[in-house]
Amino acid sequence: MKKLIYSIFILLLTLSVNAQLDRSIRPNPGPAPKIQLADYKLFTLENGLKVIVVENHKIPKITYQLSLDIDPIVEGDQAGYVSITGDLLRTGTKTKTKAEIDEAIDFIGASLNTTSTGISGSVLTKFSGTLLGIMSDVLFNPSFPAEELEKLKKQNISGIQMAKNDAKSIASNINSTVMFGNKHPYGEINSEKAFENITMDKCKEYYKTYFRPNVAYLIIVGDITVKEAQAQANQYFGKWEKGVVPAHPYNFPEMNKSPRVVIGNRDGAVQSVIMVSYPLDFKTGNPDAIKASVMNSILGGGSLSSRINANLREKKAYTYGAYSSLNPDKLVGSFNASGEVKGEATDSAMVALLFEINRMISEPVDSKLLEQVKSRMNGSFARSLENPSTIAQFALNIEKYKLPKDYYATYLEKLSKVSVADVQEMAKKYLKPENANIIAVGNADKLQKTMVKFSNDGKVELRDYYGNPVKAAETPSNLTGMDVISKYLEAIGGKEKLQKINDITTKMGMEMQGMKIEIINKQKAPNKLKVETLMGGNVVSTQVCNGVKAMVKSPQGNMELTGEQLEEMLSQATLNVELYLDKLGIKAELKGSEDVDGQPAWKVQMTSPSGKNTVDFYDQKSGLKVKSVAQQGQMSVTSTYSDYRPVEGVLFPFKLKQSAGPQSFDIIVSGVEVNKGIEDSVFEL
Amino acid sequence: MKKILTLGIAFFVVAFGKTSLATDIGFKEFDLPNGLHVIVHEDHSVPIVAVSVMYHVGSKNEQADRTGFAHFFEHLMFEGTKYIERFQYDKLVESAGGTLNANTSWDRTYYYEILPSNQLELGLWLESERMLHARVDSIGIATQKGVVIEEKKQSVDNRPYGSIMEETLKRAYINHPYRWTTIGNADHIRAAKDEEFKKFYESFYVPNNAVLVLAGDISFVDAKKMAEKYFTDIPVKKEEIYRPAMTEEIKHTEVRDTIYDNIQLPAVLQAYHIPAMGSKDFYAVEMLSQLLATGKSSRLYKSLVDEQQLAIQVAAIPFPFEDPGLAIIFALPNMGLDCAKIEAAMQKEIEKAQTELVPEMEFQKLKNQVENQIVTENSTIASRANILAENYTYFKDANRINTDLSKYLAVTPEDLKRVANDYFRKDNRVVLYDLPKSSKK
Repeated sequence: MKKLIYSIFILLLTLSVNAQLDRSIRPNPGPAPKIQLADYKLFTLENGLKVIVVENHKIPKITYQLSLDIDPIVEGDQAGYVSITGDLLRTGTKTKTKAEIDEAIDFIGASLNTTSTGISGSVLTKFSGTLLGIMSDVLFNPSFPAEELEKLKKQNISGIQMAKNDAKSIASNINSTVMFGNKHPYGEINSEKAFENITMDKCKEYYKTYFRPNVAYLIIVGDITVKEAQAQANQYFGKWEKGVVPAHPYNFPEMNKSPRVVIGNRDGAVQSVIMVSYPLDFKTGNPDAIKASVMNSILGGGSLSSRINANLREKKAYTYGAYSSLNPDKLVGSFNASGEVKGEATDSAMVALLFEINRMISEPVDSKLLEQVKSRMNGSFARSLENPSTIAQFALNIEKYKLPKDYYATYLEKLSKVSVADVQEMAKKYLKPENANIIAVGNADKLQKTMVKFSNDGKVELRDYYGNPVKAAETPSNLTGMDVISKYLEAIGGKEKLQKINDITTKMGMEMQGMKIEIINKQKAPNKLKVETLMGGNVVSTQVCNGVKAMVKSPQGNMELTGEQLEEMLSQATLNVELYLDKLGIKAELKGSEDVDGQPAWKVQMTSPSGKNTVDFYDQKSGLKVKSVAQQGQMSVTSTYSDYRPVEGVLFPFKLKQSAGPQSFDIIVSGVEVNKGIEDSVFEL
Repeated sequence: MKKILTLGIAFFVVAFGKTSLATDIGFKEFDLPNGLHVIVHEDHSVPIVAVSVMYHVGSKNEQADRTGFAHFFEHLMFEGTKYIERFQYDKLVESAGGTLNANTSWDRTYYYEILPSNQLELGLWLESERMLHARVDSIGIATQKGVVIEEKKQSVDNRPYGSIMEETLKRAYINHPYRWTTIGNADHIRAAKDEEFKKFYESFYVPNNAVLVLAGDISFVDAKKMAEKYFTDIPVKKEEIYRPAMTEEIKHTEVRDTIYDNIQLPAVLQAYHIPAMGSKDFYAVEMLSQLLATGKSSRLYKSLVDEQQLAIQVAAIPFPFEDPGLAIIFALPNMGLDCAKIEAAMQKEIEKAQTELVPEMEFQKLKNQVENQIVTENSTIASRANILAENYTYFKDANRINTDLSKYLAVTPEDLKRVANDYFRKDNRVVLYDLPKSSKK
């Protein structure tokens, strides 16, 4: 009976709770849960290898991470060899081929990664011995197979080809070179050329010098006891031999005196990447680290509600997300704020980004906001403890950066003490928009105009994928685009001879994916053209222009060209178009000097009456046209011309190279015939 | 393309090596009178709690002229509620020391908060407000339209291979709403009126179309009491919830096409029609995909990337769809190589799987990999909550988290050969060559 009354009471209570639920009131938290840092053990083997162990038995897995604590190195004309060495380690040992290593790792469902600064792996507890056996074999007995080096070079070069059209990669490269310069390890950009230069000896030397236990940590995390870890460390890494490892000090990069505006071009961009960055003396665990990271969290740390995101994403909808980061580093720390934004709003987004940075400096933050952010960081710290490797990372940082032993144990306490004044002090100390690099990558032509407002001296630097300046070198003030073209016409034979040419037949050959392709190009004054493409002697496509209309014929059918395409075809069809620029209303504008294959060339932009641009490059010494870049839709097509030979007193290029993106074709001219009296009927549609 | 698996875990013990105790992931569950299903999983190792709600609505519940709605809601649902002001939703969570996010698939939409465990009630308040009082108003709709359209540019238009999913689906499906992507068509979102969004909310964001999962450092008794407090008064939806019937016919003709993208390297993609997730054959298809492309010793990787150097990357991904879905095989050819050549090499490996039984050692490898994968996927409270929610949403059986591994281990080499023949047929697939725009004549 008593029980029944009790349950009725409970029922009433529940009902009344429901009936009275006032949803407008935010529920209060319960008493704060206690956060305990899991413990770790550290011991050192006789050969100097420091071992950190974190026990965690939630799931039956163990992670092993061998990590070298060494200075980065400048790699020079073989840039990339350090990272390739890391990859090579996994590609073969004295007793195992790469396939056998892969097979063995996959068989136990494990992972094994090698980098230039370490080896790591993760495995089900029951297979840990197997994994360690392979790890130590890879560490002690790498065989550096030559064919694997070639593969890695090829893959890396492919990777660069892919990255070249990626705005983020371009921005990141520009950022690194601008911030550090190319004499600093952080400012080196990998290039196809440097990858090709890499020698195996260089890789072996790196491995022999730097893979030494006295500069290494072994971090063991997971379903294992300290005693078992000790036994494993000794068994698998005890015989690793010590060595003398050189240190490499570097000068701290110079700060800009005023904002430095740098842009990059990405063909066909619908968005721009914007970035504000500069180097900082900011080491892991420095006395300001916690206060400064609170400041950055408010500004643009990972959260959606940070000020930068609230402004650029929520308020203005310029972007899907923009963030800032303060990056601690032993050598050079940095500040970076960036996002991918709408192309047309690039400068507005940059204004908003800089506004938020300046606001941090000039205004104290609201104390309520500060408490929110602190509580957020508090929670994030607590959540991070769920991952046992966090504790391992803490231990590693304490060791590596000589932090006080209780640095992380007292983290929350220190965090709770950060004040409004601290935040503003950190903003003043670490936010330096006046010394920043202001970077934007997108449609460079537009950026050139819109980004100039961020520069005090009106200077906008244009850099390429490699972070190299695109030279807009001084041009003699009296030289014009037309002068360059006149010189070109003179160089290939002179106007008089050119005007006597009535028709040209050019035969060319190229290879595409193993197939031989023949091209026959017939051109007749003033603007008739026929291009036939043959494969195995059969015509596979024909482009023809009768001077008024143009058509493309292919097995898929015939298509008459209209609009922009027709215009392009008509201009292509014009025999020696450079003779008739005035008549056709094409403007030739000298855009400066730029190197083409190491030789200085004049850059001339040709603009058709409809506004279409082509950029041609003329060698400054010979006057000959060496390169041309045309826009086709969202892609740019680059053609280079070389091996000029005389035919009937006029010079023609006998070697052509056309590239668009990663694809490039070498075209060899096999014959040029002039004034053979081609019939008009040839050019009928 | 991260492989998404909806697997559960049992810390399965195999006879050799060191043995651990088989650990069940424990949970309790109950229904509220309004149809909301609640699952509670206790784990006291770290003082945090995951509060999550999975709505059984994804892009497949959309109308063909209003694609992208489900994903749009994922954004809209952060605009606040009747009692939570605009832009405060995430701030409330963050200022409580928590984190939150959401994601949308073809079949469901998932919202979660990870909070310090003393903030459980906050999480329940937020999620119940989202279900009952979300602000579906013109200001929020306008803001999120801008954000979502930008997201599409970033994740589809401006990303290499960003459009390949869209191009594949629209060729693979003729009737089924899987024929569009979750991000959908930006024009549909632009054109949609506010009332349409309101109707979508009223149709799908209801307790009888959702499951609430509470996982972490909490007690079942407290969790149950609080779930009742915040969710009991949310009204049930009586009308039937729109779920499109599967009307896609079995394919007997290969679809083959070339598309052009803002990319530097071409890509080859094959998409095979496969059975729905959770079916016996789906487990076999997953293991077959693993055989083909999981790990460096997998067959496609070894043959195409390593030995022949035809490709720089390969992947095989069976999509875990509620209705019959697709298994994608994808390769990025090495510089200057022909797509047809890569495809021929891919085909050779598929044919091998169709004609030869997988050797015992290699099959054992697949089992070890599955075990590792399942153990790893269940390592956090958040992922356990997610898996429990999905298992309930799709199968009304949260306990699959503990039985899934046994379903993989029941697959035999004969099953692999059989599914290779049944589903990886030429006339049951879409083949796409994704080429750089520059190569378009």
